[in-house]
Amino acid sequence: MQLIVADTGGHIAITVKEPRIDAAIATSFKDKMREIVLQGRKPVQMDMRSVDFMDSSGLGAMVAVRKALPSELPIILVGMTPNVERVFRLTRMDTVFQIQSEVT
Amino acid sequence: MTSTDRQKAGFHGCRQLKTEPMFHRVFRAESDAVRAALTDIRARFGGAVDAGTLGRLELVLAEVMNNVAEHAGFGDQTAPARLPWIHVTVVRHDSGIACAITDDGISLPEECLAPRSMPAPDSDDLPEGGFGWCLIQGLTQSLCYYREKHRNFLAFSVPMEQA
Repeated sequence: MQLIVADTGGHIAITVKEPRIDAAIATSFKDKMREIVLQGRKPVQMDMRSVDFMDSSGLGAMVAVRKALPSELPIILVGMTPNVERVFRLTRMDTVFQIQSEVT
Repeated sequence: MTSTDRQKAGFHGCRQLKTEPMFHRVFRAESDAVRAALTDIRARFGGAVDAGTLGRLELVLAEVMNNVAEHAGFGDQTAPARLPWIHVTVVRHDSGIACAITDDGISLPEECLAPRSMPAPDSDDLPEGGFGWCLIQGLTQSLCYYREKHRNFLAFSVPMEQA
């Protein structure tokens, strides 16, 4: 699982280097991500620019990670590709995460 | 050409037989094999359709074929599951991409085909599933299902992006 994790002080920055978050890796992605966000207990920023494809299993993993973190701690998704953004929009899960187009 | 001629026309009656990209594969319903098929479908249609249509096609096919891999197998805790065989055929037409997927798994539950859309999310009770059929229904046209003996047949079209 290719995840680059950095603690910036204010938040946990996770760069997702997996090109596909799909049924083949959704469970291990969920487990690894849960472990990272639960250790941090801070707002999370995820750099999604390298993810070309996500299916409903990948989305389910993302939602599970969202539920693992208290709702007052945001998960900010940065630089989603059109294919990934579509999955969030069609399932209305785009309202559950904070979505930014640019890496700040 | 009269209308009668046209009805009788086979390939000989076509002024010019069009060549369109097509894809066909038979494989065991496993997530790695689904992923490999999707990668090859993307390569086959990549030059022939726009990126948006290709993205929607890949997503729909992923949802349908992973459903078969995850839910259509036989067996239980006491017996090893028997994985179904998936047959997938994809062809480009002028108006969209026609897809047919069959498998020899258990019957598709009727409720999967009932019209659906995701409710507005409740942040205290977020769903972790149920997204798949919502996506399939939202991205396809002419979605239809048929069960014959031991096989499921599902067919649909993914419309081309509006120019």
